[in-house]
Amino acid sequence: MKNSLSKILLVFGTTTLIASPALADYPERPVEMIVAYSAGGGTDIAARTLVSYLEEHLGADITVVNRPGAGGEVGFTELASAKPDGYTIGFINTPNVITIPIQRDTRYEMEDFTPVASVIDDPAGFNVHPDSQFKTLEDLIEYAKAHPGDISYGTTGVGSDDHLAALALERQAGVQMTHVPFPGSSDVRKALMGQHIDLGIFNMGEASRDAAAGRIRTLAQGAEERWEKAPDVPTLKEQGYDLVIGSNRGIAVPAGVPDEIINELSQAIAEAMQEEEFQAAADKQSLPLYYQNPQDYQKTLNTTQERFQALWDESPWAEQ
Amino acid sequence: MWENILSALPLLFSPPVLLSMAVGTTLGVFIGALPGLSATMGIAVLIPLTFTMDPLVALGMMAGIYNGAMYGGAIPAILLRIPGTPAGIATVFDGHPMAKKGQGLEAMKIALTSSAIGGSVSALALLLLSPPLAAMALKFGPVEVFWLAVFGLAAIAVLLSDVPVKGLVSACLGLLIGMVGIDSMTGNERFTFNVMELTGGINILVLLTGLYAIPPALTLAQEASLIKKGSGKDKLGSNRKTVAWTRLVPTWCRASVIGVIVGIIPGTGGNIAAMLSWNETRRAAKDKSRFGKGAPEGVAAAECANNADNAASLIPALTLGIPGSTVSAVILGGLLVHGMLPGPELFTRSAPVTYGFILAMLVTSIMLFIIGRLGARLFINVMYMPPLMLAPIIIALTTVGVFAINNSIFDVWLMLLLGLVGWGMERLQIPLAPAVLAVILGPIAESNLRRAMLIGGHDTGILFSSTIAMVMVGAIVLTILSPLIRKVIATLTRQQKRQSTDTTPRMADGHNET
Repeated sequence: MKNSLSKILLVFGTTTLIASPALADYPERPVEMIVAYSAGGGTDIAARTLVSYLEEHLGADITVVNRPGAGGEVGFTELASAKPDGYTIGFINTPNVITIPIQRDTRYEMEDFTPVASVIDDPAGFNVHPDSQFKTLEDLIEYAKAHPGDISYGTTGVGSDDHLAALALERQAGVQMTHVPFPGSSDVRKALMGQHIDLGIFNMGEASRDAAAGRIRTLAQGAEERWEKAPDVPTLKEQGYDLVIGSNRGIAVPAGVPDEIINELSQAIAEAMQEEEFQAAADKQSLPLYYQNPQDYQKTLNTTQERFQALWDESPWAEQ
Repeated sequence: MWENILSALPLLFSPPVLLSMAVGTTLGVFIGALPGLSATMGIAVLIPLTFTMDPLVALGMMAGIYNGAMYGGAIPAILLRIPGTPAGIATVFDGHPMAKKGQGLEAMKIALTSSAIGGSVSALALLLLSPPLAAMALKFGPVEVFWLAVFGLAAIAVLLSDVPVKGLVSACLGLLIGMVGIDSMTGNERFTFNVMELTGGINILVLLTGLYAIPPALTLAQEASLIKKGSGKDKLGSNRKTVAWTRLVPTWCRASVIGVIVGIIPGTGGNIAAMLSWNETRRAAKDKSRFGKGAPEGVAAAECANNADNAASLIPALTLGIPGSTVSAVILGGLLVHGMLPGPELFTRSAPVTYGFILAMLVTSIMLFIIGRLGARLFINVMYMPPLMLAPIIIALTTVGVFAINNSIFDVWLMLLLGLVGWGMERLQIPLAPAVLAVILGPIAESNLRRAMLIGGHDTGILFSSTIAMVMVGAIVLTILSPLIRKVIATLTRQQKRQSTDTTPRMADGHNET
């Protein structure tokens, strides 16, 4: 007993001594990871899958804390206002993290975050029923040109990446379609499979399985380059639209965290994502992995924000 | 299929899986019994813990929690008038009056047996009828779901108290509360008063716990200082009756069918199933006046239907990847984690595990019967507990439960505030049930109506464009007019006689005003 107590005291003493002058020992206590969505949801499961591998590479325990509410705003606000010591990290999801401050007054700005690493990038997919008359995106656009407002498209809600994808496409192609918002992607899929809507826009990660089973047909994907799981689906770019859009999930910290810590975190995430086991787990959940280092991730977020802001200034997607 | 079932059996009856099912079922009963905690949350919290488990061990536990929680919700509903889960609302109507009459144990036995039967029928439907029922689920688009919600709203009329105006006040309050949050159709904020936590709307569990759990606790605390010691015991056991099980068979049949059908329709859940089933049972009964005052059939109808919803809501989830309720959405997440991709492939490529899981839904329904039977005598002791202790326990448990939903202290304050509102409503004898049902059904009806109008190019014709829609419109008209028709017939045929069996005139009045 006595021995162990003195050991504890020794460890305690040395660590506190070393910790204060240099950050070299980060991390020396458990890290909290804020997930702005409910336990059991897509982001939560992805986060918890990553955490079990990230803990090893970071050398610290990570606790996932769910702070759902207001489309992610509750959790994002908490992350933005956390102490910038590297012990609070969190997932930020585009487009929500970007569009919420554009749409309404929030207690956080994008500048309140420092991005650490992009983890998942799920491009938007344009899907139709297998029996649909539209075989290609061109068919669809042509029909929409001839019949403005006739095509109904379902998305996962006002201001979702699917909705923004459709708005941008409408603008570039000079067509008009009717937006039907649904609460979640499974609702859009159901409406599409039941032929209640003409076009269902949801992420490729959610579409690939149904497409492979022949329950839906994917006309286009919003990726930069064709996603390896959907090599037959042309990108919007290939079809002449300057449009790369999807939902990105990555790790960020509150602004003000020292660069060394950000780099250490980013490095650990990169290593965790390299693990075969993690990749297999991500594959099971159909998560398109996409690592970006802090600088590149920042650039991606900046361009996305500029584009959404321009889109909003020109034609707001939600009533104000 | 039979060989798949046979191949799944040895897996299912291995000791670890049996143990996990028993643990899950027991856990589920407690989760359901605690106000604020729900099967959805229980399973969501469990999923990350199951990463390393054998798939069937994990899925068996999920099945147990699901079935256990649906029954668990009935325990506080009967004993304390507090529905443990949203699906327990309809159980309160007849369950608590039974307990008050000294038949609490009987009510719990009925709830348990009915839950087990509903759960088993549902599991059999999932096992044997998945493909055709899944095809039916797809037929329910925005139009059909809108009418279903209206059907449910029409049933609220039955719940109006003796003073219909009060019931309507309650229902309107519910509709207003249901509007709080961002309007999903336009992105407008409604009734959020610039409070960030309100933009996502008011969580139904927070509302339910606030309105239902706090007022009884306050009333208990109030009575505690007034009532003499030991009087709580009078409530229980003094009035034991043997349950006339055979008389419940028609109710079980009806409730099972309703539960299964509502279950497969995406976007609806056990609460709607239980409510519709209770209403239909009441409508089919000869003596309607017994309902709401402790009719055993009422408890059986509600509990059988909310468990019959369970496995059925997994039918579209497993075959199409489209969850029928929030619980099945979480279970779907659990399946994905274990590498089981929903779709027809689930029944071929991963057949042993899939059939094992479906059978686990059946086995846990039966386990529930045994575990619940043992637990009933334990739970009933709640009635013996002095109110002075019970009241703070209820408030402490609900506070913890509500905080756990979103890790949000705002929700706790909101629940306490709603608790005061609920207490005030009780004092004014304004019924609570219409408010809660309006909160659940209002947004479903509204968003689906608006979706249907968008799809149909703002032409109301789309609302009557399918057979299912027309059938449901017919059912709604019948529901609304039936008290009126019955009243007219009764007055015509028995003008001279005393109208003792007359359907209460209040309902006709209520409908006129609706």
